[in-house]
Amino acid sequence: MRKWLTSFGGFLPLGILWFCPLVAGLLAVLYGARGGAAWNALFEHPQIWPALALSLATGTISLVISTLLAFWIVAGVYGSKLWSGSSGLMGGFLSLPHLAFAIGFGFLITPSGLIARVIGTFAGWVEPPQWTTTQDPLGLSLIAVLVLKEVPFLIWLIGAQLARPDISQMLRGHFRISQSLGHGSASIWLRVFIPQVLPRLKWPLIVVWFYGASVVDVALAIGPTQPPPLAVIIWSDLNNADPAINARGTVGALFLTVTLACLALAFLVLQKITLPSIWNILTRGPSPGRTPKMTSSALLMFFCVIYAMVFVILCVMSVGTLWPYPNLFPTQLRWSAWELFAISPAPLLNSLSLACASTLAALALAIFWFETIPEKMDAALLACAITALALPSLLIADGQYLAFLHLDLSGTWFGVFLSHLTPVFAYVFIVLKGPYRAFDPRYRSVSLGLNTDKYRFWSSVKIGMMKPAITAAAAVGIGVSIAQFVPTQLIASGRMTTLPIEAVTLTSGGNRPLMAVFALMLAVVPALAFVAAARFGRKTL
Amino acid sequence: MKFSRRDLLKAAVAATFLPSVSRTSYAADWAALEAEARGQTVYFNAWAGSEPINAYIAWAAEQLEARYEIILEHVKIADTAEVVRRVRDEVKSGKAEGSADLVWINGENFRAMKAEKLLFGPFASDLPNFKYVDTVGKPTTLIDFAEATEGLESPWGMAQLTFFGDGAKISSPPKSMAELVEFAKANRGRVTYPAPPDFHGTTFVKQALIESITNQSFLPLPAEKEEFARAVAPLFDLLDSLHPHLWREGKQFPQSQAQLKQMLADGELLMALTFNPNEPANLVASGELPGSTVAWQHKAGTIGNTHFVAIPINSKVTAASQVVANFLLSPEAQGRKADLKIWGDPTVLALSKLSAVETKFFTSGKVAGSVTEPAPAIPEPHGSWVPLIETAWLESYGT
Repeated sequence: MRKWLTSFGGFLPLGILWFCPLVAGLLAVLYGARGGAAWNALFEHPQIWPALALSLATGTISLVISTLLAFWIVAGVYGSKLWSGSSGLMGGFLSLPHLAFAIGFGFLITPSGLIARVIGTFAGWVEPPQWTTTQDPLGLSLIAVLVLKEVPFLIWLIGAQLARPDISQMLRGHFRISQSLGHGSASIWLRVFIPQVLPRLKWPLIVVWFYGASVVDVALAIGPTQPPPLAVIIWSDLNNADPAINARGTVGALFLTVTLACLALAFLVLQKITLPSIWNILTRGPSPGRTPKMTSSALLMFFCVIYAMVFVILCVMSVGTLWPYPNLFPTQLRWSAWELFAISPAPLLNSLSLACASTLAALALAIFWFETIPEKMDAALLACAITALALPSLLIADGQYLAFLHLDLSGTWFGVFLSHLTPVFAYVFIVLKGPYRAFDPRYRSVSLGLNTDKYRFWSSVKIGMMKPAITAAAAVGIGVSIAQFVPTQLIASGRMTTLPIEAVTLTSGGNRPLMAVFALMLAVVPALAFVAAARFGRKTL
Repeated sequence: MKFSRRDLLKAAVAATFLPSVSRTSYAADWAALEAEARGQTVYFNAWAGSEPINAYIAWAAEQLEARYEIILEHVKIADTAEVVRRVRDEVKSGKAEGSADLVWINGENFRAMKAEKLLFGPFASDLPNFKYVDTVGKPTTLIDFAEATEGLESPWGMAQLTFFGDGAKISSPPKSMAELVEFAKANRGRVTYPAPPDFHGTTFVKQALIESITNQSFLPLPAEKEEFARAVAPLFDLLDSLHPHLWREGKQFPQSQAQLKQMLADGELLMALTFNPNEPANLVASGELPGSTVAWQHKAGTIGNTHFVAIPINSKVTAASQVVANFLLSPEAQGRKADLKIWGDPTVLALSKLSAVETKFFTSGKVAGSVTEPAPAIPEPHGSWVPLIETAWLESYGT
C-alpha cells in the first residue's frame, strides 16, 4: 500500500503540471476538429496542396541534407583535436535560436544584403540585384536556415552518443577489428559506426523532421509567401477574426500532424525493407578509403564563419540606424534601439521569468520522478516526452489555447508557464534521464553504511555528483523556453509579450536595429545559460 | 459571418453578468465617469509595427497617468483580427474578465465585432471632445467601410492611400493604375505591393478595383457572391497586365507594407505605398528616406478611411476606456499625433471648430516628402467585398 502511495505521489505533480495540459490540448484539438465544415474549408483552400508539398519538402530535404552533413563532419573530425574543441562550439551554435539566426542570415543573403553589397562594391552596382534569395518560391533559403541550424544539433547528438562510455568502448573495439581486416576509416564509419549510431538517433531525427515541416516563426521571417508553407497558412487561420477560419486552422494543424505521422510511419516501414539492400550496395567489397578529413574540417570552418557573420551582422545592425544600400557599413551608429529596448524591459523580463520558472519546475518534476518511480516506467514517460516534442507546436499550442480558455488560464502568466513546461520538461527529462539513472547505487550503500540519513545523502552526495547533468539540463530548458513563439503568442492573448513575439512582430515591422536587438537578446540569454552551465556545472565531489 | 443563436444567447448572458456594462453605461455624467476611471488599468490593443506609433501611445500613457490616474498598457499586436478572435472566444466561454479594454480598429474587424455584438456602447458621441470631430468634411468618421459606426467606435485618425518614392529616380510619378502599369513596364522588377490579406495589399487591390470598373454604384452595397465574379473581371484583367512586370514577376509578394518601405529604402524598389499620407514626410524627417522623396496620390482620388478606437463588451473598465478615448480625441492629443516629427497621422477634428489656443496644437506647412497635390478621398467599398476580393486574389495569384 505504501509503495503504491509513493508511486502515485510520484505521478501526481507531473500529471497535474505536465501530462494533463498536454492531453487537454490534444483533446481540445480533436474536439475543435470534429465538424465537417472546417475540413471542407481546408481542402477548398486554394493553396492547400502546394503549401503542404512545400512544408513536406522543406522539412524532408533539410533533414536529409543535415544528417548527411553532420555525419560527414563527425566522420572526418572525430578523434582529432578539432573534435574535442567542437563540442563546446556546437553548444554555442545550438544556443542561437532559429529565429535569431534566420533574421541575421536573411540580411546576409537578401538582394540588398551584405553579400550583394560586397559583390556590388566590386562590380559597381548602383541598385541591388534582382536576386530571388529570401522568400524564394522553392523555400531554398528556409531549407538553408534549417540545415545550418540542425547540423550543429545533430553533431552534438552524435557526439553525445559517441561519448557514452559503453558505446565508445564498443566502437573502439570494432575499429581495431575492422582496421586489421583492411578497412579504411571511411569504410568503418559507413559499415560499422553509422549503422550503430543512426538507429539511436531515430527519435531526434523525427523531431527535427517534424520541426522543419511545421515551423512558423522562421518561415514567417524567411520562407516563401505565395504559397507559404502550410504551417504559415494554419498560423494566420488561427489568428483570424472569423471563427470558421479559426476552425480551419485547428483542422489544418491536425491534418499536417497526421500527414507527417503517416509519412514517418511509411518511412520506418520502408527503411526496414529497403535499407539492408541499399547498405549492401553502398558497402560492397573492402574499402581502404579514409574519411574526408579536409572537406569535413572545411565544412566545420564554413559553419563557424556563417555563425560568426550572423552574429556580427546582428551586432552591427542593432546600432546601425541608417544603413542604406550599397554601404558596407552603417552611415549612422546610434544606441537608440538598445535604449528603446531598455526603456521597456517587459519582453525580456517575461521571457526570463518564464524560462527560469519552467526550467526549475521541469528539473524538480524530473528529479522527483527519478527518486519516486522505478526505472522501468521511464520508457512510458520517454514515449510521452518524445511525442510532446515531435508533435508540431502549432497543434499542441492551439489545443492548449482552446482548453485554457475554458479553464480561465488564457492570458495568465501561469497558463503560458504551463505551455512552456510542455516542451521544457520533455527536453529536461530526456537530457537528465541517462546520467541520473546511471548513478552507481554503491555510493548510496557506502553513505548509508556511514550512518548518513537518506536526505543528507541525496542533498550532499547525489546532487553534487549530478551537478553537471542538472546544469546542462537547465541550460537546455532555458534555451527551449526562450525560443517558444507559437504557444506564447496564442496563450498569452496579448497580455504578455516575450522576446520571440517582439522579434517576429518586428520582422513584419521594418525597424531593423530593434529587430537585431531582439534577435541578439534571443541568443544571449540561452548562451549565458550554457556558459553558466559549463562554468558552474563541475562536479563538487 | 456565421454564429449560432446559442452563441448569441451566451453572449447576452455574459453581458448581463458583467456589472460594469450596466453600471457605467453611456457617459451621461462625465465627471462621475472620470472619478470612477481613477486607478483603473486599460489594456489598449493596438497594432505595434511602427516605432513612432508606439512612442506616441507611450506619451498618451504618461499623460493619462498624470491627469486621470489611469494606467494605459499598450498590448502590442501584429494583427487586429487576433483581438476580435480573442474577445469572441472569451465571451463565448463566459470568461469574466476580458483581456482587451480598448482596440484600435476599423473596417472588416469592426463590422465583425458590431455584427456579433462584441462592442460596448454606443458611447462615442457622448464623449465631450466628440464635438470637435469633422463629421461633415470627413464623413468616414461616422461611416466605417460603408458600415455606420452608431457610436460603437470613436474616430482616432484619418488615412488615405498614398504612394511615395525617390524624386531623384522618378521624374513623373504614375498617377493612375493605367499609368502604373506603364511605369512598371518601364521599370521591370522595381514595383510591387504587399500580398493580401495584408491590409495595405488589400487596399491597393481595392484601389485597382475602383479604377478598373465603370459602374461603381454597387460598391457601397453588400457584395453578392454570384455577381461578384462578373463584377470584378476588369480588376483581374488589370492585375494580369500589371503582375508580369512586378518584383519577382508578380509570383512572390512582400508580406507587409513595412517590408515594402524597407525595400524602397534599400533601393530594391522604386516606390512604396502607405495609408498615412504623412508617413513619407515622417520618414524623411527621421532620416530613413532621402530629402528628395516625393509623395503622390492618383489624380482621380484614392481610397481613404478613418481608424477608430472601440471598447470590447467584456471590458471591466469601460469608464477608463471612455476617458482614454476622449483624451485621444482632445485637440492636444490629436495635434501631437498629426505632428510629422511625432507620428504624422492626420486628425479627425475640424480645425474650424477649435479655439485659437487649441489650433496652436496643430503645426502645419509643407515639408519634404509631403503630398504635393492632394487628391479627393474615395470611400471604401462595403466591408463584405474584402473577404471575396482576398479569396479571389489568392486563387488567381497565390499558387
